[in-house]
Amino acid sequence: MKVITAIAATTIGEAIRRRVLLVILLIGVLLLSIAPGLQALSARQERTVLKSFIFGTMQLTAVMIAVILTVYILPNEIERRTIYTILCKPVRRWQLLVGKYLGAIGALGLMIALMTGLSILLYWKFQEGAPASDLVGIAQVALMYFVQTCLLAAVAISLSTFLPPLVNIFVSLGLYLVGTLFTSVFESISGQAGTHPLVKGFASLVGSVLPNFSRFNVQNLEINTQQIGNTGLYYMNSAVYGIVYVVGVLIVGMLIFENREV
Amino acid sequence: MKKSRAIMWGLLAACGIGQAVWDKAKVQPTYVARIMPKSRGYVSGLSSEQFLLALSGFREMVAGILWVKGDGYFETGNYDAILPIIRLVTWLDPSQIDVYGTGMWHIAYNFTDEQSRSDRRYIPSAIALGEEGAKNNPDTYEMFFETGWLWYHKVDDDYGQAVKNWELAATKPDHIPARKNLLSNAYQRNGEIDKALGHYEQLLKEARGRVVVGDDYSTRTSQDTIENNLDTMLVRMSQRGWFGSKQTGAPAIPYDTQPPFDVNFSVRISVVEPKVVKFEGSWGVRPVGTRIRVILRDSDFPNAVPGGMKWRQDGAVNLDPPKDLTFMQDQLYVKNLRFDRTCDMGRDPTMYPFKSANYAAEFYYNPRSAPPHIQDKFSWNGEGFTDKNFLNNEVRPGQRVLFHSIPLTRDMILRRGEWSMGGGKVPVLQTKNYVDKATKGTEDFIEIPSLRSQASQPAK
Repeated sequence: MKVITAIAATTIGEAIRRRVLLVILLIGVLLLSIAPGLQALSARQERTVLKSFIFGTMQLTAVMIAVILTVYILPNEIERRTIYTILCKPVRRWQLLVGKYLGAIGALGLMIALMTGLSILLYWKFQEGAPASDLVGIAQVALMYFVQTCLLAAVAISLSTFLPPLVNIFVSLGLYLVGTLFTSVFESISGQAGTHPLVKGFASLVGSVLPNFSRFNVQNLEINTQQIGNTGLYYMNSAVYGIVYVVGVLIVGMLIFENREV
Repeated sequence: MKKSRAIMWGLLAACGIGQAVWDKAKVQPTYVARIMPKSRGYVSGLSSEQFLLALSGFREMVAGILWVKGDGYFETGNYDAILPIIRLVTWLDPSQIDVYGTGMWHIAYNFTDEQSRSDRRYIPSAIALGEEGAKNNPDTYEMFFETGWLWYHKVDDDYGQAVKNWELAATKPDHIPARKNLLSNAYQRNGEIDKALGHYEQLLKEARGRVVVGDDYSTRTSQDTIENNLDTMLVRMSQRGWFGSKQTGAPAIPYDTQPPFDVNFSVRISVVEPKVVKFEGSWGVRPVGTRIRVILRDSDFPNAVPGGMKWRQDGAVNLDPPKDLTFMQDQLYVKNLRFDRTCDMGRDPTMYPFKSANYAAEFYYNPRSAPPHIQDKFSWNGEGFTDKNFLNNEVRPGQRVLFHSIPLTRDMILRRGEWSMGGGKVPVLQTKNYVDKATKGTEDFIEIPSLRSQASQPAK
């Protein structure tokens, strides 16, 4: 465990020093800063537009950071040959992978926390009289985005064990898009009466295997202040789903990384 | 080493199955039903920038901005342009209750002809939009209320649907007390008088509870209003013989509603110009407030029912109703025992295309829709209402309504062939009992019924 913690701590430090990530974060923060200005364009929909813009920016930034951060973590170590100095110590490959992953999501968590803090501050400042539940809502959505990007980071880091970074960026983002936009399509096909059982079975299989990123897109609940019975329970169930999936994906990564020539 | 690999494979299998099972059992049902319900794609109306934004997590923002754009179209009267925006916004953000509510009102009320008659072909779509909104937002009363209102006010028939929606609205914790009264009215129009009374009593109990918690002007007014409504209801139940019939077990006792009043309906239809139809006739009720429904439609209009149409259809929101079908619905207002209305359908060819060869002019009156002062004689279900020629118990089972249908041809309406304007005959169709007499100019007066007033024209 000590080994994993040490690798994770080093990775967080490295991630925070990486300029490309800081630039993405800066763009995200700048976009968040202009969010209140959009209210002028949207009479009678100010709150909806402001919240949606905040959530959209936060999510987009977090996704970009998660992918860019994780696709380079292992390949950089291999390319710079620093991996040899790590692996010649009593460090197992799976420990390296897990440590790197935990470091990456630690850095990701810090960046999301920064954006969340700024968003809450802006919302509180520009939506006078906004109830405290709105501010809590922003934090809850940010937390779900964090779980979502942790899942994405796990996918990207596992793919990075055998894919070059550039290809990995496209594959990871592609999987993210599919997992966000098309899972409902697979669900529709598998639940549709009159569809051939083989097609239904295939759609159901694909829908079950693909990471379902859309489950964490809960912004609609907060934007429209909807009640869905027990919201907390839904968040918890989604988080459990995310964690189980992350563990599974990391195991795949470990199995591949164990056999890889470095 | 082999052992640890086996453990990892085992863990992987467990995680793979576990995530799928957990997702299906615990996450998917709530997500699909409540968070982002499935809706049809309407991406074609989005610009590429908007589509990209919508894909990248800004759905609600795009929806909000689009709706602001739609609002602008309202200001300029560009009503057709609003329809795709309504659909896009509700697709992007199915929780936009305002858009659903405004959208269904817009579809049902704003598409009118030059004489302010609504295009009834849109009503099923408006209802479908309301039902979709209610399905996507089941935790608030709003869409159930709005859909119920459409049935109650715009359809003004089949009040059971209004009752159904408002009963659902009443189960929602955010329902506004001031709007709950309407459910009693819907019960009355649906012939469920005991339920209406029970609902008022329940509301009064709730209002008294609110006064106990906070005795202020608002809660007092609310309580007074409900008390007043309840009093009026009790008087009407007594006056219309409801309690009497309950006590005696007879269907009705000789009270204000007995003997039934013969309205002696008659009508004459004349096509005065192409697509300009005049309806005139008699109605034996002197107090003002009678509106007789007139419909002129294709004889084979799909989903038509006597005196209306099947307003709730396949549940699909179709914002482009069939443009080759004609369905005109209007009200004939009675004054001085007569009605006289000219419907000019010539200025709205898209609304009244008259493509079919045969048409039906229908006349329909349901005492359930009558105002209270007329219901004081007719009662809620038409017990005190009759017409020796056109009383009908079949078109609305269990209700006493007036219904009559007169067939017309396309040539008659368009004044072609033997009916041409240049020397042809004037198409005039009338009921056998129609008597051409002018009573215009007679001083109109309102007869205020009392508990012991006698029917001025008993049935024969």
